[in-house]
Amino acid sequence: MPQQTKCYSVRIDETACLAHGDCVDVAPGVFELDDVAHVIGDGPPDLILRAAEACPSVAIIVTDADTGEQVFP
Amino acid sequence: MKPDVVAVGGGLAAQRFCETLRRNGYEGPIRLVAGEPERPYDRPPLSKEFLAGSAGADDLALRPARWYADNAVELLLGERAAGLEPDRRRVRLEGGRRLKYDDLLIATGSEPRRLPQFDGYANVHYLRTLADAAALRAALTPGARIAIVGAGFIGQEVAATARRLGAEVTIVEALAAPLERIVGSVLGRWFADLHRAEGVEVLLRRTVIGLKGNECVEALVLDDGRRIACDAVVVGVGVKPATGWLQGSGLSPGGVAVDPEGRTAIPRVYAAGDAALAFDPAAGTHVRSEHWEAAARQGAAAARALLGLPAEPCTPSTFWSDQYGVRIQHVGNGAGADSVELDGDPDTRSFTAVYRRRSLPVAALLVGRPRELPEIRRRLARHVDHQEQDTGDRTRSRNAPADEVLLGANR
Repeated sequence: MPQQTKCYSVRIDETACLAHGDCVDVAPGVFELDDVAHVIGDGPPDLILRAAEACPSVAIIVTDADTGEQVFP
Repeated sequence: MKPDVVAVGGGLAAQRFCETLRRNGYEGPIRLVAGEPERPYDRPPLSKEFLAGSAGADDLALRPARWYADNAVELLLGERAAGLEPDRRRVRLEGGRRLKYDDLLIATGSEPRRLPQFDGYANVHYLRTLADAAALRAALTPGARIAIVGAGFIGQEVAATARRLGAEVTIVEALAAPLERIVGSVLGRWFADLHRAEGVEVLLRRTVIGLKGNECVEALVLDDGRRIACDAVVVGVGVKPATGWLQGSGLSPGGVAVDPEGRTAIPRVYAAGDAALAFDPAAGTHVRSEHWEAAARQGAAAARALLGLPAEPCTPSTFWSDQYGVRIQHVGNGAGADSVELDGDPDTRSFTAVYRRRSLPVAALLVGRPRELPEIRRRLARHVDHQEQDTGDRTRSRNAPADEVLLGANR
């Protein structure tokens, strides 16, 4: 069976986000900074996960787009 | 006529203040007065990525240069405030220039507490500014012997970075455990062990009573007679508000008391960040928070107050540290905690400690457990709400700091 590529969907918890900007540093094509971070694009799963882990406020919520299962936090 | 806004201070609090004003439609003039020559920049990397050399000065800017042009925020860089004349609504700068304002933000931050015994030596470093970090970076060479005085977050982060760069590191701390006023003595000792496991010599309950060397410190002499030979010294013994310029203004030069939205005792004068002593409803007193997130929130809150917008909901205060690849997060205020509950194994560098006061959670320390932060934050926020309803007044006495209880319970 061919291996399925994982597809993540990303959401910002705007009540938690303080616009540190670490996500933009890690994944500039995926996130953009205003008063809070915004998701502007897609990226490889490992990059998205690294951005989510870098966030000091833990404001990036990553879910598996296929299963709906929360991957992070 | 639109009011003239002046923000004194070139850090995160002033930056967020300006951003929040513009985002909410304020169209009048804004001037930002920064004591350092750089545009507002992010300080946390100064003891981590920038010090390690993996980030450059350009990477630290909070906003690109064009942001200030696009948003019509006039930058006065390298200009220090020397006095406040509230009756005339003027700020006096060191060069003698006076800036007229209608609304003023005081956000001059803090400065390292200096130890006079180290004055005049060429190889003694404090860490606050980009210039400080650049100077220290040059000293962190492989094999260099670095003596760090003070095991607070600055001292610890410098130790971690210095080890990563191959330096030999000794930390001298006067307390029985690092950070014991914040995390208690048991978990404070965990921090000492973390550094020891990484090859740092951590000397607790030791003070520096003398120095050897003429132009440079060649060795520290400790109170037990021991000598610590060194090539450079880093002093990280806390900070004090950089508000001496307010002497004679009617506001305290020892830090400016503000309400939860940043208003000082003088109408249309606000304060935010390390320069401010913000009223904390959860603690029931004015507290100075020396952390990034507090500066960000307070700068934005002062702008909202200026514009007459409703305040954002109060959330538990948070700060973080990165050392040896481990993310360390703290949330809430452990003052008066009477118990601490540990989940996980400290030896694996993955655990959560929840501090409770009268069985309600008031603070938490998370080591290598970022996934748990959102849930803990929610639990603590519920408690903050509960407390506010519970007391309703601002006069109750301050609780004992965490260490008084935890030291007693754990020693």
